[in-house]
Amino acid sequence: MNRAPRSIDEYLKQLRQVLQGADPALIQDALYDAEEYLRAECASHPEKSEADVLELIASTYGAPEEVATAYRDTEAKVNAALRPVIPRATESPNPLRRFFGVFSDSRAYLSLFYMLLTLVTGIIYFTVVVTGLSLSAGLAVLIIGFPFFLAFIGIARVLALGEGRLLEAITGERMPRRPVHPGARTGFWARVGEMLKDPRTWTTLAYLLLMLPVGIFYFVVAITGIAIGVALIAGPFLVMAQHLGWDFNDGISVMQPAVLAAPLIAPFTIALGVLILTLLMHAARGIGRAQVVLARALLVKPGM
Amino acid sequence: MDESHARKFQKDLNAGLVALVLLGVLSRSAEDLYGYEIAKQLQKANEGEPLFKEGTVYPVLRALSANGLLTSRIVPSYSGPPRRYYRITEEGRAVLADWSGIWRQTRDFVDRFVEGADE
Repeated sequence: MNRAPRSIDEYLKQLRQVLQGADPALIQDALYDAEEYLRAECASHPEKSEADVLELIASTYGAPEEVATAYRDTEAKVNAALRPVIPRATESPNPLRRFFGVFSDSRAYLSLFYMLLTLVTGIIYFTVVVTGLSLSAGLAVLIIGFPFFLAFIGIARVLALGEGRLLEAITGERMPRRPVHPGARTGFWARVGEMLKDPRTWTTLAYLLLMLPVGIFYFVVAITGIAIGVALIAGPFLVMAQHLGWDFNDGISVMQPAVLAAPLIAPFTIALGVLILTLLMHAARGIGRAQVVLARALLVKPGM
Repeated sequence: MDESHARKFQKDLNAGLVALVLLGVLSRSAEDLYGYEIAKQLQKANEGEPLFKEGTVYPVLRALSANGLLTSRIVPSYSGPPRRYYRITEEGRAVLADWSGIWRQTRDFVDRFVEGADE
């Protein structure tokens, strides 16, 4: 049991302490909410000192221990009540249904979309980080170099939060919903030092840089998979349509090698196309999950 | 009787009720509310002695919002970090109607057994 906190910073520090070991995203949210309440409470009692307001906090907002328990319990209870477990085809005992059930999983489509999107976000992240770092280094000799660097780190953090929100929307995995709490209200330079020492600052930059090669890879896999799968499925039908008198491109064969569309081979060609698309959907879902693990490790402060 | 028994019982009761009360508060309010405002409204409604700690309001608000029963927007504030204002969604209203039905049934059922027990 801690002694009763006498200031907002002390309260937040204790709250962080008792939440140790919880989901980092949950800790980030809990600190943010507590600060909103405590600052609002102080602002609405301008006649009292911060210490006086904090004295009553345990009986109104709750002591750090109580608040921590509330966050832990709520996350488990409310989510359990509101998210009924829908028996998904992916959990069916029938292996064939489990395999093709991926087509009824909205997460797989979203992950596939994410794979395409990462090329764009990867280019943006990479450009921002490379420009930011090189301009910071170049301007370092001038007085504006350092403020520029700080602004750049701020932008990188916003991008990291945005990436987290995007990943939560796509995979449903919990990511932070609030910005990182700035920590104790110490002096400006102390905070800058803190930020430079914080490994998360640097892992965030690494993640943003990494997203360009990773994004290119995801994009290529997704586009190649979609193109080959769709071509194998549609090809035989188009050849058939051609035989029936439809004209594509002045009679150039729409399927190469043409044997893939031969009457006896065509069913296998189509089946192969379906197989490739299904495997791609499975890969997309797996990549979505792997990406969350990566983002958790690099973007969310471990343990706090 | 033992004070801690009463407190434990109150806590168990609150577990599900906080979410119902919050949906109720937000469905009655014409404007969007932020966490602190909601907490203060609840405190005032119970003569300054809230049935549950105000700190328990926030995690429930976030959970309801994450599940689509509330929407929220962020507004900068002078007194501290930006405030998150909440508004009830159509889905939230449907859930509220559902839950209040369950609550009334439960209350009436419990009352049949405990009415007059404290006289």
